[in-house]
Amino acid sequence: MASIRSARYYTLRVVATRVFLYVLLIAGSAIMLLPFFWMVTTSLKSSFEVMQMPPQWIPSTFRWSNYAEAWSVAPFGRYFFNSFFMAITTTIGEVITTIMAAYAFAKMKFFGKNVLFSILLATLMIPGQMLLIPNYVTINRLGWFDTYQALIIPWLASVFGIFLLRQFFRSIPDELMDSARIDGCGRFRFLWRIVVPLSKPAIMTVALLKFLGSWNSFQWVLLMTNREAMRTVPVGLMSFRSEVGTAYELLMAAAVLAIIPVLILFFFTQKQFIQGVARTGIK
Amino acid sequence: MLRKGILLGLACVMLMGLVVFAQEPVTIEFWHSMSSGHQPYLVDLVNKFMEEYPYITVNLTYQGGYGDTEDKVEASVVAGTPPTMVQLYENVITPLVEVLYPIGPHMTQAEKDDILDGLVPNNTFDGVLVSVPWNKSIMVLYYRSDLIATPPTTWEEFAIMAADLTVDVDGDGVIDRYGTGLRPYNPELFLNYLIQNGGTILNDDWSAVTIGDQKGVEAMQYAESLVPSSYISSGYLSDAVGQDLVAMFVDTSAGYYYNHKAAVDNGFELACARVPAGPVNNSSAIQGTNLVVFDMGQTQAQKDAAVLLARFLIRPENTVAWSLRGGYLPVVKSAYENQDWLDFLADNPDYVVMSEAMIDGFAQILHPNYGLMRGAIGSAFEEVILAASSAVDAMANLVLDLTDLLEY
Repeated sequence: MASIRSARYYTLRVVATRVFLYVLLIAGSAIMLLPFFWMVTTSLKSSFEVMQMPPQWIPSTFRWSNYAEAWSVAPFGRYFFNSFFMAITTTIGEVITTIMAAYAFAKMKFFGKNVLFSILLATLMIPGQMLLIPNYVTINRLGWFDTYQALIIPWLASVFGIFLLRQFFRSIPDELMDSARIDGCGRFRFLWRIVVPLSKPAIMTVALLKFLGSWNSFQWVLLMTNREAMRTVPVGLMSFRSEVGTAYELLMAAAVLAIIPVLILFFFTQKQFIQGVARTGIK
Repeated sequence: MLRKGILLGLACVMLMGLVVFAQEPVTIEFWHSMSSGHQPYLVDLVNKFMEEYPYITVNLTYQGGYGDTEDKVEASVVAGTPPTMVQLYENVITPLVEVLYPIGPHMTQAEKDDILDGLVPNNTFDGVLVSVPWNKSIMVLYYRSDLIATPPTTWEEFAIMAADLTVDVDGDGVIDRYGTGLRPYNPELFLNYLIQNGGTILNDDWSAVTIGDQKGVEAMQYAESLVPSSYISSGYLSDAVGQDLVAMFVDTSAGYYYNHKAAVDNGFELACARVPAGPVNNSSAIQGTNLVVFDMGQTQAQKDAAVLLARFLIRPENTVAWSLRGGYLPVVKSAYENQDWLDFLADNPDYVVMSEAMIDGFAQILHPNYGLMRGAIGSAFEEVILAASSAVDAMANLVLDLTDLLEY
């Protein structure tokens, strides 16, 4: 009898705990999803409905024409191409350079390694704003102003990515390298044939973060380009704002279009990303 | 036969002259901050300019908001590659004067005399008209004409009306509509009060800060007295209008389209009036930028072309066209007698108010650190509006901040 009672009590506790957790998770998810919901519904409203108080959560009529109108405000086709091109090339470039640099700092011994790594980390302390003008001068002097080189080359390496992968590579046992050497494997081959496959989650994390950063890059692109043909989606979103007012419904429509590629990418890489976050410990 | 030969020879010489003296094609860069709302009108004007001057190509480049454009201009000047022409606020122009190509010496006296008097001093540096005003707006009083039959004309009337119009419509203890609206970080609104009370920011030779004297403190205390009747919003007040949260507010005429649309879309009526007068005057802040031409590596042909474009844009018919479609106000006197403008005023009486206000508005001071000073003024105003500081304390701290900025 007592055992039946305690079993029931145990079951009840498990169910209650689960219900509580699910309620908490659903509430948390709702809070996280609310801005996206608002963005999508606002993109379908008229300008009159946008600022209604109390807020109008669902548009009275779905104005799909907002998307067409937003698309026509600026050459978004070109902006999307530039955004994709910039994001993909910088991602591939950074992944390659970051893997090699992180491996060197994690597994190789050379003079001044720790000092060099400290200097690299110290650069993370410099606010990006302070570097805007010197970088502008540098880009100009290289003759790269208003070119793809200005948008891509400065972003082919990342100290944060090097730090992240270095930490991950350090967790790979040195014995693996010893075994590989016995089998005649050199460092380069060891890196790309053994270390990289083992580090896929961390590398995917670096790649995804880089893609996001490049996709969302605004100030650098604005500063380094003049021609519309060179600009990207975040710069294009500026078209809907002015000093005296904003066309929110068109801005949200353009923002929805801008976020779709990122959502698709995350959808296909979320497993590796979450593994990478868990294993590298980044938040 | 001889006559034919002479005529033919003369024709050849003339043709050669045309070829020799035909203008060399020249391309100029014009960096601007006009986003999608205004850009099409600017493009139309520039196309019209290029039709008139077919040898000149103008590359219009949108550089973001005013702040983004200023950042980029600063970077480009350091790099030695500024554009040919750009629109800038006066305080940003001041430190750049030495690398600018003055426009005034290349204008006719009639053109210079035609610029609105209030806009000349802040485009003049060491007695030379360096820049020309372009997209100018003025602060006016927007009021719900369905709630207010006669708008207030003095500070006292405004304060009383704002208090009376602050109402709890449904009796639930929560204010449903405020008499007025205040955007915390709004230096120009405070400067209205300061100037209307006879105050100044600095003395004439910029050697001392005067904003903290009795007139300045009174201006800030007046702003402080409006807080209980004010909807405080960091966003555009057009949003508050659309939500029936404010009955009247002071804002730039450049926001007319957005304010008016927000009201009309929601079934309200919105009209404009002069800002209420302070003890001394009812002058209000002129905002907007000016056109400058750079002299850092540009060829003489490029500089001349840019000057032509600046003069073209402030021609009466063009400044009227820009104003009619862009929501700004004409910057030359003769534009206010232009028939297109007069016809527009007949259909849009709110713009009569704006036109009148523009004539005796006040503009920015030219101190090189005015941008930082404006920031300090805005912060002081924000502290008072958000009740983080009393008017007296805020002004005392502001004086210290501005004193540090006197040196340049």
